[in-house]
Amino acid sequence: MTMTSENVTISSESQHPRKLRSRASSVRWARRREVMREVLRNPLTVIGVVIITLFLLMAAMAPLLTEANQPDPYQSPRDWANIDAAPGVEGHVLGTDSTGGDVLYGIIWGSRLSLQLSLTVVISTLIIGTFVGSVAAMRGGRIDNFLMRVVDVFLAIPELIFALAIAAILGPSFRNIILALAVVFWVKYARIIRGEIIRVKQTDYVAAARVVGDSTWNVYRKDVLPNAVTPLVVQATLDMGNVVLIGAALSYIGLAQAGLTEWGAMVSAGQSGILAGQWWVSTFAGVAILLWALAFNLVGDGLRDALDPKTEGR
Amino acid sequence: MSNVSVSDVNNSEDWLLRVDDLSVHFHTPRGVVQAVDHVSFEVRPGETLALVGETGCGKSVTARSIMKLVPEPPGDYASGKVMLRNPATGAVIDMLAAPMDQVRATRGDRIAMIFQDPGKALNPSLTIGRQLAEVFGEHRAQMLLTNAGIDPAKAPLGSKSVASQRAGVIRRSFFNLTHRGQSRALQAAVDASVIDALSDTGIPNPRKVMSSYPHELSGGMKQRVMIAQALACDPDLLIADEPTTALDVTIQARILDLINDMQQRRGTAILYITHDLSLVRQFADRLAVMYAGRLVESGPALEVLRSPQHPYTQGLLAAIPRAGTPRGQLAAIAGSVPQLIDPPPQCHFSSRCSFSAQACTNHVPGLIPLPVAREVACLRFTDAASLGVNQEQMPSHVDLIEVESAEAVSS
Amino acid sequence: MQVRQYLIRRLALLPLIMLGVSIIVFTLTRFTGSPVGIYATPDMTPDELAALEERYRLDEPIPVQYAYWLWGLLRGDLGWSGVSVAPVTDVIGLKLAATLELALFAALVAIVGGIALGTIAGVRRNKAPDHAARFFSILGASTPTFWFGLLLLIPFYLWLDWFPIGRSTPEIFDTIAHPTGLYTVDSVVSLNPTAMWDSIRHIILPAVVLGFGAMAIIVRMMRSSMVETMSEEYVDAARAKGLPEKLVIKRHARRNALVPTATVIGLSFGFLLQGAVAVELIFRWPGLGQWVTSAILSGDQATIMAYVLITSLIFMLINLTVDIAYAYLDRRVVLGS
Repeated sequence: MTMTSENVTISSESQHPRKLRSRASSVRWARRREVMREVLRNPLTVIGVVIITLFLLMAAMAPLLTEANQPDPYQSPRDWANIDAAPGVEGHVLGTDSTGGDVLYGIIWGSRLSLQLSLTVVISTLIIGTFVGSVAAMRGGRIDNFLMRVVDVFLAIPELIFALAIAAILGPSFRNIILALAVVFWVKYARIIRGEIIRVKQTDYVAAARVVGDSTWNVYRKDVLPNAVTPLVVQATLDMGNVVLIGAALSYIGLAQAGLTEWGAMVSAGQSGILAGQWWVSTFAGVAILLWALAFNLVGDGLRDALDPKTEGR
Repeated sequence: MSNVSVSDVNNSEDWLLRVDDLSVHFHTPRGVVQAVDHVSFEVRPGETLALVGETGCGKSVTARSIMKLVPEPPGDYASGKVMLRNPATGAVIDMLAAPMDQVRATRGDRIAMIFQDPGKALNPSLTIGRQLAEVFGEHRAQMLLTNAGIDPAKAPLGSKSVASQRAGVIRRSFFNLTHRGQSRALQAAVDASVIDALSDTGIPNPRKVMSSYPHELSGGMKQRVMIAQALACDPDLLIADEPTTALDVTIQARILDLINDMQQRRGTAILYITHDLSLVRQFADRLAVMYAGRLVESGPALEVLRSPQHPYTQGLLAAIPRAGTPRGQLAAIAGSVPQLIDPPPQCHFSSRCSFSAQACTNHVPGLIPLPVAREVACLRFTDAASLGVNQEQMPSHVDLIEVESAEAVSS
Repeated sequence: MQVRQYLIRRLALLPLIMLGVSIIVFTLTRFTGSPVGIYATPDMTPDELAALEERYRLDEPIPVQYAYWLWGLLRGDLGWSGVSVAPVTDVIGLKLAATLELALFAALVAIVGGIALGTIAGVRRNKAPDHAARFFSILGASTPTFWFGLLLLIPFYLWLDWFPIGRSTPEIFDTIAHPTGLYTVDSVVSLNPTAMWDSIRHIILPAVVLGFGAMAIIVRMMRSSMVETMSEEYVDAARAKGLPEKLVIKRHARRNALVPTATVIGLSFGFLLQGAVAVELIFRWPGLGQWVTSAILSGDQATIMAYVLITSLIFMLINLTVDIAYAYLDRRVVLGS
């Protein structure tokens, strides 16, 4: 079977898009399984996965681990009899802060906030960014130009500073931090997927699909997306950690509500105590942030190394 | 071709390089690869030896071992010596055993190497002039100082390292500032040496080339630069590792002629590492064939080409497509090269050899000397008695094979 | 010349992008409260406030307002800074100088440390120094800067009292002239050893804290870059010339490994700008970061907006410089995507 159109000639059955697609797809799945195996072989990545799992459990089982404070579980219960208690004193395993708030409680419930923050931001920015980037790349021309200029403008403002300004204008609250970060982070994904689409557009099987008359949407769904998934997944994993890092910095500066059991806010709350020798509040909260970011960085790096064609299949 | 007569060989003390029982192993996660296995050969002053074999036979590793360039983990010089003799003084140095500073003094000065892909073997971020200056600086610093009118004994602080190109930017700038006149003279001396070296290889515009970066030059020009760099200090031995593989056919001939020309003028010995038999035919005095890490045959180039003794060599020559070979009939050697990880003690070629017999799978053939000035590592030329084996187990014995055309033998 | 074309194109884009940033900033100011907020000083009467409203055309449609705001901006009117009790333009220069000084020292720490560690890690691949360097670099990328600052303050300031907080000891600071606005440089220029020591003592800790995260990124890139270059043929060729190994590593491997690292170094400046916010807060460093954090706490819009504008401008200039440097270093790079 021979078809010619626009300088593309499909001269045999084996080059029909359907065959190419199914071949590409099975190759992809085989690779994915191999990647998973390779990822888990790296001890550092495994550590990252373990830490993430522990945090997820902590977040999910928070009400079981400690009794939820009323009316707002995200405010630490105040034990006025034991303010500034050192770790180990009277049922406060990690100590209390200067208003008697239990540090362990803060860590546990803070993990929920971190999860909420990172998941919301990453998922929403993935969707928005992918949408915008796809539109830009698939339409091309003026639309692409315009959208990419917008992306450039967003990228001109450093992430933290941009989020800071937005959160400051909107008013100090955890919700606003989430919103601010979402506004700032979507551009990364737009860029990634646009780059992938442009790259894939130039491959043979897309040309073949066009010849056969496949709709743009089909080509997009079946050829472009599966291949773009890789860099998106890596970036999303890394961002799960980065979002919490930046979010904590914003709460530290004071852009979250007072007394919130958010790790960054806790570091800030505990810092005046440091001069008096009360190291535990800031230290434990900071360790929590570090472990969260570390875990996602380890997993993200492991994924990236496993998926990088250069280091694959050693 | 050099002027050394092919007949006075073997028992003279006039040798330049002697590789003696060299073995190089690589430690990989999958096991120890015996890349070079008890290889011995010799190169005489001014002579051209071609080391021939297919990819992966160990010829490149052998070449690099001569300058002790094999990275030592994972590489390992498991046995042997690489002896370099000074033709004038008779002093001998074992490159593998000598202290590193002596080895480095030899590299670039008495033994030099040109690489397969000149695009990759030149540092992309340094000018040609700088890269050549390095060679002069390292080995001829005294001469440069003298040429610049600076007495080496009384050379000011910093000038020596500037002359040897070892000084970094800061020290150089400092020297330039504090000793304006001398630094200019030194630079002029360096430039003069570089230009000399470049124009010697027939490069038309040496000043311009000197200030160019590698990517600004063509492939042929880059290879000339490599040659200029290698011959800068007039080495006794030049190792050319596949010098034409990365070049256009049209340029190949010119480069080979250039090398040959420089050899005639300077009397340099050349070790060609190649799989290009036409190169061998044109330029080599002697030829050594390697297979799977071992030397299987050696002798005067034209003799070996005319009457190859080892089954592998015969197969190799038979496989060359010739004008007139009927279509669809490429005489390839059936089978493939064995894995060299912990190989069994046998002839590596036995599985593909049409003459192989039981003894071949139990013994490693040693190099048997043949007339005239030839060697073969094959049990066909070996005595059953010397191996302590029954005659039935041996392949049929031969003395010297006269092969009319190399096409006669292939499996 | 390709570099020149590229430079021109990027420079031309710059004002356009800044325009876009200004639109974003303007939009943010319209989000809350009184639009006149950034221009009002606390002591103004209602009449004066009304006059302000008229002057900035605040009854006009938004695009017109934007035009007037932008026009004011270009003439140097950035509004009134509540926290500094002065026009923004009066104060911003000083703050910028302080942050710049901190960022420069932090960059020094990050670049020198990063390149050195990354080189060692790459040369001794898969051995102890390499594993240590990679671990360190992941740690550095995961550590919250503000927390790290607190962590270091405890021993060095609290217990040992080696390094003081703040930028200077006022008595010493006042004894020298300040031509550049950079305390360290000024103290060298005026050849005053007490001031030099004072300035160094104050800047070391915040610079290390700030540079730590950036160093992590640089180490990682430098290491992978070195691993790649060390396996290039020209490195072997350099050895074949008889050059000492140290020279081979420095002049042949590392020089080429620096090329891809240059982009990362540029990226790290962005990291430094952002990290400065927290670091200045903790170490009471009188720079832009500390300025904007107090502005946030007191709702001082003018300061926040000016901060966004100026940091974006700096960030873009840095990126442009890095791209040009990269193009210069790698002469084989085809400029532009």
